[in-house]
Amino acid sequence: MQRGLRLFGIIPLLVLLAVWEVLARSGVYSAALLPTPLEVGRVLISDAGDLLKHTQASLARVTLGVALAFFTAVPLGLMIGRFKILDLITDWSIQIFRSFPIIALIPLAILFFGIGDRPAIILIWLAAFWPLLISTIFGVKNVERTLLKVAKVANASDLLILRDILWPSALPSILTGLRLALGAGWLTVVTAEMMAVKSGLGYLIMYAQIIFRPDLIIAGILIIGTIGLLFDQMVRLVRTALCGWQEGLVLES
Amino acid sequence: MSFVEIANVSKTYERRGDRIHALDRVNLTAEFGEFICLLGVSGCGKSTLLQIVSGLESPSEGDVRVEQRPIDGNSHPEASVVFQEHGLFPWMTVRQNVEFNLKARGVAQAERRQTGTEFIELVGLSAFERRYPHELSGGMRQRVGIARALTTRPKLLLMDEPFGALDAQTRSIMQTELLQIWQTHKSAILFVTHGVEEAILLADRIVIMSPRPGRIRHILEVDLPRPRDTTSPAFGALVRAIIGHIHEDISLIARA
Repeated sequence: MQRGLRLFGIIPLLVLLAVWEVLARSGVYSAALLPTPLEVGRVLISDAGDLLKHTQASLARVTLGVALAFFTAVPLGLMIGRFKILDLITDWSIQIFRSFPIIALIPLAILFFGIGDRPAIILIWLAAFWPLLISTIFGVKNVERTLLKVAKVANASDLLILRDILWPSALPSILTGLRLALGAGWLTVVTAEMMAVKSGLGYLIMYAQIIFRPDLIIAGILIIGTIGLLFDQMVRLVRTALCGWQEGLVLES
Repeated sequence: MSFVEIANVSKTYERRGDRIHALDRVNLTAEFGEFICLLGVSGCGKSTLLQIVSGLESPSEGDVRVEQRPIDGNSHPEASVVFQEHGLFPWMTVRQNVEFNLKARGVAQAERRQTGTEFIELVGLSAFERRYPHELSGGMRQRVGIARALTTRPKLLLMDEPFGALDAQTRSIMQTELLQIWQTHKSAILFVTHGVEEAILLADRIVIMSPRPGRIRHILEVDLPRPRDTTSPAFGALVRAIIGHIHEDISLIARA
């Protein structure tokens, strides 16, 4: 039943599409400014080659940046969550750095790394790093005390505690962090591409503005939204696969 | 030398600025194969004493030895603990939970499986070995906790109000099962409880403790034959005697 209900999620999207269609036909905005859904649909087909190329460029950057963030933030978060002293040392820094708007760092990144993939990927890494780090720390700190006592009286090694207790216990929280990180990654890639790179969906949208192609801008935005949805669904699937034990224990896993 | 030696153990700690005297010069010995219940109202330090013997806490003063080996914040390899809230890993199946203590010791997988199977059968959970803890009843969860503690064939079993959260009927079944297990897998048991009848039903000796500061007040031998009949006059007399002791302590404290 639940699975079937999920398909109802398409209703608001259809309503939005209808509103857009009506608005475009009504002539409130000139047809040159606001294309109809059908026109944008045509662009998706006619410019498919270009769109695909730029989508691939953005996807590659987000995947690489978020992956870098995952493999750095999660181990660090596990350590910080486990050892109080590391938590005390790093807490202030984390709170300061995570508050930096990534957009503000773009000019700096361009100065240091020039125009190209490097500044974009580094910015995505940074943007995705903090939500992952904070979720991991939170996940580890939430481990039930008794479970660590069980491990201690069993003389469990630090490695076993990490692998069999801290990691599975923090995993649901880490995956929530991953969802946030992917969102932050997309936000950043588009912004970075508008300034620091000459390819990708952000670049395409910016370029479309210059050559006055609102249909292309909207097509780009639609692709970004769709990919965002797909990524989120992917993390959900991973979560269902890895955290099956939560089924029936929490409201929604 | 006794199997367990608790000599002049005191424990104080700070909580929100207050200095709490959890244990005051506690002396107790236990022989191998003996079933001892630590009985007392909450705050008498019975759980703290158990934590110290298990190596989870260090004594502020005094000395605990198991098989002559000093315990000071390190767990004795021959000791196992059954926790009040059973302490099961929610992401592990019954089997994985039961095998955890063996895994922690680096026991090879084949042997782990074999021993795991043996103890899952012992506590009657063979049909549930693939379930997760939250899919089990309270009594079943505690059985998993007991099975896990037994897999290393401990010489000393430390149990912290293990049946406290169970309903009366399940508790009674678990008590009978525990006695059977103890009679087949000989070990010393230190069992914390605040149930007078539970203590009399289970123990060879009952250690009655009183709070503020946590002290041993009386040590009582229970020489009723097993299985013990809770409705017998001798059992009733013991219940009254112990409740008398506890009330005496409480009124002493109230007056002080």
